[in-house]
Amino acid sequence: MDYKINKINDYKWEIEKDEKYGMRVPGIIFADRQLLDHAASEKTIDQVINVATLPGILKASYAMPDIHYGYGFPIGGVAAFDEDNGVISPGGVGFDISCGVRTLRTNLNIGDIKDRLQDIMSILSFNIPRGVGSKGKIRLSKNQLMQLLKEGVDWAVRNGYGWEEDKYFVEENGYMAGANTDFVSSLAMDRGIGQIGTLGSGNHFLEIQAVDEIYDTVAAESMGLEKDQIIIMIHCGSRGFGHQVCSDYIKVMQQSVIKYGIKLADRQLACAPVSSPEGKRYYGAMACAVNYAIVNRHCLAHWVRTTFERFFGKSSEKLGLGTIYDVSHNIAKIEQHNVDGKLKKVCVHRKGATRSYPPGHKDIPDKYKSIGQPVIIPGDMGRYSYILLGTEKAMSESFGSTCHGAGRLMSRTKAKKNINGSELKKELFNKGIIVMAGSMSGLAEEAPQAYKDVTRVVDVTHYAGISKKAVRLRPLGVLKG
Amino acid sequence: MNLKRIGKKYRYIDHLSDIGIEFYGNKLEELFENAGVGMFSIMCDLELVEPQEKRNIKISQKDTCYEDLLVLWLERLLYLYEVDDVLFSEFKVGGIHKKGRNLVLTAEISGEKIDLNKHKIKIAIKAPTYHMLEIKRDDRYCDWKGRIIFDV
Repeated sequence: MDYKINKINDYKWEIEKDEKYGMRVPGIIFADRQLLDHAASEKTIDQVINVATLPGILKASYAMPDIHYGYGFPIGGVAAFDEDNGVISPGGVGFDISCGVRTLRTNLNIGDIKDRLQDIMSILSFNIPRGVGSKGKIRLSKNQLMQLLKEGVDWAVRNGYGWEEDKYFVEENGYMAGANTDFVSSLAMDRGIGQIGTLGSGNHFLEIQAVDEIYDTVAAESMGLEKDQIIIMIHCGSRGFGHQVCSDYIKVMQQSVIKYGIKLADRQLACAPVSSPEGKRYYGAMACAVNYAIVNRHCLAHWVRTTFERFFGKSSEKLGLGTIYDVSHNIAKIEQHNVDGKLKKVCVHRKGATRSYPPGHKDIPDKYKSIGQPVIIPGDMGRYSYILLGTEKAMSESFGSTCHGAGRLMSRTKAKKNINGSELKKELFNKGIIVMAGSMSGLAEEAPQAYKDVTRVVDVTHYAGISKKAVRLRPLGVLKG
Repeated sequence: MNLKRIGKKYRYIDHLSDIGIEFYGNKLEELFENAGVGMFSIMCDLELVEPQEKRNIKISQKDTCYEDLLVLWLERLLYLYEVDDVLFSEFKVGGIHKKGRNLVLTAEISGEKIDLNKHKIKIAIKAPTYHMLEIKRDDRYCDWKGRIIFDV
């Protein structure tokens, strides 16, 4: 595609609205010159343009600096649609519904763990179900699964997993409202029933990290963090349950686009009006998958706690294993935003993007009201991860959204060709990072070199003002599926 | 010309975040079989999977096209893999035909229960996508050619 790019500032670019492609709004890309050139070379901007053609899209089709080529929507894409005249698209959420990140703090520091890291990683590796085809330790009946899908963290706490207070530190306060199991297929139930409490594979991980640098001392203090402190980061999603919900509704939406006369640039963008029966059914099923993902991370966090308890011979309360925050970066939500000077309910799609609510927002926990929502950004296993904070500017510039990670730089095939998993493991070991992985080829695909530098991505969001740097984390122990 | 001229059933297509395959067949049924071979080859080394467990599949879909039938077929294979813990290595599509307004596919597939020590599992596939999905006649090399991208 040919398109015109206008520079708005060093970190923000506009793709001019072009009617020959049927664009209803312009594209906005948050990136520096190098990240923008990379996106352009991968044809990712074509995908930003395709999203701009969807009915009822508001303001712009947005791309975060970690943008990379996806299928249909770009990964790192944000699009908000009018609740009355706009659409909802399962492809705009993705197959791994509510893929996200949970972080736990500890009151340990590097010195407490350095010499015992190998041991604790081995025990975690044993206690955390992970890898391709992994089944969980929790046996559920169909009725129990239905309760879980409706109640989220409340169900888990009632059944002995995690703490009551955890739910206040989950983006949805423990569960997404509107979950309706009537709209979930039996296929999704079958796939989901055995997988709760499993990490999965691919880019999902569980890491022991250390606080490496603090940029905002007040915010770090609010989150209970100081330099060299140990934290745990869990990155995973809704497993086969979410994949099936997405597959089911992409098929439903193939019919909807005919029924509602929607013209698509890519079949994977299939959608239905937010207010249509098909749109509402998808929303109800998607909310179930969000709750599944939240409980999934919650159960994994529970086993991290029990592992640490046994290892250190102290209760998880004494070890300070509280939840810092839990975010979803593949999701569609009905939120209130200011559009042309009016407060409006809109359906925000974040596909590889994280909510970034500012200080004082009603939907963030009291503990963080003065600093803004913690935005957890997983990086790669050799460099850094970050905790950012939501900003007011994100509300006006990107429907309260920011980046979600580093973003791929190298395809999986290329990574496997160029990188040797065992050598990578040794290399990281020499840097003081212990990696445990299910497969060496899978590890090669997730090598640091296969990703953009997360620091560069995070800096763009910081200077563009859509999130603010608070804390940098570095990996010590990495558990991959 | 036939499939032998290409010398393979499928080939990988490089995609930045995911993996795709192009697959071939002298007949439509063979095209679908090779899509199955390609998909499970992404996940594991098929030579290590013995055809011990059999499943019969019937898919019947109203007002559909070959592309959409392909997505249904691959989704069914993934579902059986995930729910029954079976890796499939042999795919025999008995027929793909029209019955009234429906397209009907019948098949028998065989594979083996997952054994993590035996089967070198490479990666999990989340789902087949509609992005760049295509099935077409290709008389240059063989009769049928298809393309699909998987979310991994």
